[in-house]
Amino acid sequence: MSWYPLHPGTVGLPVGVMCELQVAGAMAAILESLLMRDYPRPHGRMDEMLSDEGAIRDSWRDVATALDELGVDALRQRHQQARRLLRERGVTYNVYGDPQGSERPWELDPVPLVLSSDEWAEVESGLHRRAELFNLILKDIYGPQDLIRRGLLPQELIHAHPGFLRPCHPYDQRLDYPLCLYAADLARGPDGRFRVVGDRTQSPSGAGYALENRVVMSRILPSLFRESRVHRLALFFHHLRRALAELAPNRDEDEPRVVLLTPGLMNETYFEHSLLAGYLGYTLVEGSDLTVRDGRVWLRSMRRLEPVDVILRRLDDDYCDGVELRRDSMLGVPGLTEVVRRGRVAVANPLGAGVLENPALKVFLPAIARHFLGHDLDLPSVPTWWCGDPESREHVLANLDTLVVKSIYRGGGQAPVFVSALTSDQRTALARRIRARPHLYVGQEHGRLSSVPTLTDAGLQPRAAVIRAFMVAGKGGYSIMPGGLARVAPASDSLSVSNQVGGQSKDIWIRATEPVRTVSLLPSTDEVAMGAESRAILPPAAAANLFWMSRYAERAEQAARALRTVLRLYRSVTEFGDGIDQQVLARLQVALTRVTATYPGVASRADSPVDPLQELQSLAFDSRRTGTVAFNLTAMLSASNGVRDRLTSDALRVLTSLRLRLGGTGAGDDPVFRELPAALDEMVTLLAALRGLEQDSMMHGQAWRFMEMGRHIERGLLTAEWLRATLVTPLAARDEPALLEALLTTLESLGAYRRRYHDTPRAEALLRLVLLSENNPRALGYQLGSLREALQELPSEGGPEELSREQRLVLEAYTSLRLSDPAELVHVPEGRADRAALERLLALTVRDLRATADCLAATYFSDQQGPRPLGGVPPAVEYPRS
Amino acid sequence: MKYRITHRTEYRYGGDVSLGYNEAHLTPRGDMPQQRLLSHRVEVEPTPAYTSRRQDYFGNEIFYFTLQRPHRRLTVTAVSEVERLDEEPELRLESAMTWEQVVAATAADPSDAGMEARKFLLDSPLVEPPPEVVAYATESFSPGRRFSEAVVEFIRRIHRDFTFDTAATSVSTPVAAVFANRRGVCQDFAHLAIAGLRGMGIAARYVSGYLETLPPPGQEKLVGSDASHAWLAVYEPGTGWAEYDPTNDIIPSRQHIVTALGRDYTDISPLRGVVFGGGGSQESSVAVDVERM
Repeated sequence: MSWYPLHPGTVGLPVGVMCELQVAGAMAAILESLLMRDYPRPHGRMDEMLSDEGAIRDSWRDVATALDELGVDALRQRHQQARRLLRERGVTYNVYGDPQGSERPWELDPVPLVLSSDEWAEVESGLHRRAELFNLILKDIYGPQDLIRRGLLPQELIHAHPGFLRPCHPYDQRLDYPLCLYAADLARGPDGRFRVVGDRTQSPSGAGYALENRVVMSRILPSLFRESRVHRLALFFHHLRRALAELAPNRDEDEPRVVLLTPGLMNETYFEHSLLAGYLGYTLVEGSDLTVRDGRVWLRSMRRLEPVDVILRRLDDDYCDGVELRRDSMLGVPGLTEVVRRGRVAVANPLGAGVLENPALKVFLPAIARHFLGHDLDLPSVPTWWCGDPESREHVLANLDTLVVKSIYRGGGQAPVFVSALTSDQRTALARRIRARPHLYVGQEHGRLSSVPTLTDAGLQPRAAVIRAFMVAGKGGYSIMPGGLARVAPASDSLSVSNQVGGQSKDIWIRATEPVRTVSLLPSTDEVAMGAESRAILPPAAAANLFWMSRYAERAEQAARALRTVLRLYRSVTEFGDGIDQQVLARLQVALTRVTATYPGVASRADSPVDPLQELQSLAFDSRRTGTVAFNLTAMLSASNGVRDRLTSDALRVLTSLRLRLGGTGAGDDPVFRELPAALDEMVTLLAALRGLEQDSMMHGQAWRFMEMGRHIERGLLTAEWLRATLVTPLAARDEPALLEALLTTLESLGAYRRRYHDTPRAEALLRLVLLSENNPRALGYQLGSLREALQELPSEGGPEELSREQRLVLEAYTSLRLSDPAELVHVPEGRADRAALERLLALTVRDLRATADCLAATYFSDQQGPRPLGGVPPAVEYPRS
Repeated sequence: MKYRITHRTEYRYGGDVSLGYNEAHLTPRGDMPQQRLLSHRVEVEPTPAYTSRRQDYFGNEIFYFTLQRPHRRLTVTAVSEVERLDEEPELRLESAMTWEQVVAATAADPSDAGMEARKFLLDSPLVEPPPEVVAYATESFSPGRRFSEAVVEFIRRIHRDFTFDTAATSVSTPVAAVFANRRGVCQDFAHLAIAGLRGMGIAARYVSGYLETLPPPGQEKLVGSDASHAWLAVYEPGTGWAEYDPTNDIIPSRQHIVTALGRDYTDISPLRGVVFGGGGSQESSVAVDVERM
């Protein structure tokens, strides 16, 4: 299987958090404006902004006053602005298993969660200890396992936990901080104390979203942000960069190469992977971009192999290596574990760190803390019982209704169970499961969360919140991100929050006691990245995405142009009954079906007539039908997601507009004759804008070159196919000029033709302009000429005199074209009905261009044949057994 | 008794394999009281670009190799010389403890050996004891019964109740299916026995290795007719590990050579890996010879 496992609550509220906010009536009238006066103080909960007496806390006073002065309408405007910014910047997350397209916009509430320096100091010191402790536990598990020997940790929690990866044992004991990254989910109870509801040690997500939230907040509330003396986040990312550089095994190399390994576009937090890679200056790679050879890990880029020193992974550890870890993993880097073992590459977090993502550990932390650190943890966990202990099991079974039951292994696909929501049959079945395998379960109290003012349709309302805090370990120990990611529940009533859609996020503002030194406030990702080195590298997956992005864009544009032409002809035929146009329309409709491969099409068989208007609409808007405009746009957008770190912010904005355009199509009072042309015009314009930005704002390096080659190949193919479908079999002489005109329109060359020839279109002249010309950017000759130039810039294997296979193919097509005589091409030989020379030339061109694309894919893109287990797919031939 | 074991595995691919990453558990254990490793070598064709050796988590030796040149055939030949120093199985002592005492003592054994043994009490990828298998095992574990007697009888029942059938199962057939069909091969019987024993609270581990087969009287032994084999071992505090072979209902002794120990087959499969390419088909063959020296 190649599917990435579902992770409930990776960025959502930590599962196991139940919020029941009961809201009291109007509060004491301390505040003047409606915004604050109407904010209801919740019962039985702590509120972050209001004290129990209903007064605004000191740390919130400035923010509350400023928001109050702003008023609810202005705040809503800022919220809209935030949504627009987030959408333009393409901030999304993916929801698994959603057939309606997985991508969701990221939601940010405009009211920050404010914490004072003192409050944060408590969190910081607590998390320091906790991170140190987890680090020591990790070293012990992948080391002497003294904790088990001393009875401080039950053996089942390690040896029966799927996260314990035996091939990774032992770790290099010289490394002080194997646990490089650590994140904790915190909730504040009614007593005002923070408690840890979840620990993340695998590859914590959310830091990138926190960064993005901060960028947006500083734009929508610039003066408030400036005056609030908020601790900056940038320093954390500097620490992260330094920590990762320190992990590099070859210390003498001054600039270690760090890559960010993503499971790919379908991953829940793919946006964040791409954002962080861009921001930190690392190359974003998928498993297939890396390869293990000669005992090292290499990054494949343009036929070269670049050594890799450090891998920041966002792929779960067991998926990282199909040889030694999960044998069914196609996402990882086969052979990686052995390279790690020999100390020739570092992975953060290390392979095997997932063993710590076990809620049952919380039970044993206090004793382990006393053993390792000599004192208690000062930041407690939410109360938890491990069913492997008989007494605790009985407690859990006796109090099921008040608990959340969780598996000790997050990756197992078993979602946490809120027992109070179960039917009695389900409850009995759960109890039976617990009794059968008690050591696999814990019972946990519902988190009792504090509330925080959040903008809703009813003004500011209290919403339960959880904070994710992030830590990174360098040589000297851990440092914390002064801020983090807050998630708030979508509604105030009782609910369980898991990975469901609808929750919002918040920026967390830690108020400094003195003015904050302005470390460079984080610019948007494409302005100043910390390192530009990664741009020179073009991994196979990125090259393929760029190539296909522009091929799909070209297909979409060409199909949209053709649809416009057909639509115009259709009107003229139905409204004026024009006989010539009828012939032309029939020919174009068949051609459109053929070129876009959207069979059967309108004119296919008389016995199953397709409604032409419905067909036109479907060809424009049906994104599930291969070959339609919407299909090609969707594919283009999907490919673009894989290379967003290489596109400018303007290009991202155009992509967002296209995505929105695609979302809102198909309905209206006159869908075919009013909405369809407008939609097609807009799509064509946006695609043109995208192309313009690509020419004008993108470095003309290898990444750009792959987009160029994709475009030239696709445009060449489409032009050739259109000519084949319309001109090889000539229409009656009376009808041909109208057909040629329609064809020129479709191929965007009518203006050029008129300027040059000033008369009724003739086939021979048309071929000069759209087939042979090297000056008309729409002509086949132009595509082949440009391709020749682009191919020369690619790294070659042989000497300069030697042509690559793709160069030879393009040269053949180019030469055949140059040697053609247009008069001969339009000639219909004696005894035949078609233009045989034209057909021969076009068929050869199509064949060569397709082969060129295949050659480029084989040379520069990921291995077509992915990894598979020795002995089968999966074992077709098993290891012979006795 | 001294043996020379030749274990040859061959893979033939329908197309070029461009890269191959493999790990092999082919080295007989040299650290067991009843067995000495005299010599060992592995030959790989084509020549690997990278090789390494290490001990895995269970103390077995792993030979790791990668191939970086296109090839259509891979052969791995391990030649090992082993001396098996066995007590007569007839002399193995009966347990002094009842099986309940063994269960309690295993859970409480404070020694390193006890801690090591408890790793083999827990579920493993191919062995999650199904209730029906535990119920089946329970029949042999009547209250107060002497430990070794109960185990021997349990092993005997598996031999009696199950049919050896190479076509009935695959490497990934779960224990429950083996139990339901009453058919399988040595691997399945070892897994089944382990499941039943662990279900009773007894530490049981999977043993892979070789079994010397003797030709029928008057016939010459055929080259390559031997096979890799699998059986199991159970832990008794104070005494240590004792091996049992449910496929043949015998107590392994002079003719059993141990290669690797693990929780189940997945820990110690003889050869596994990942290849890139290879076309549509992969064929493999294995030949094992166990010769007396």
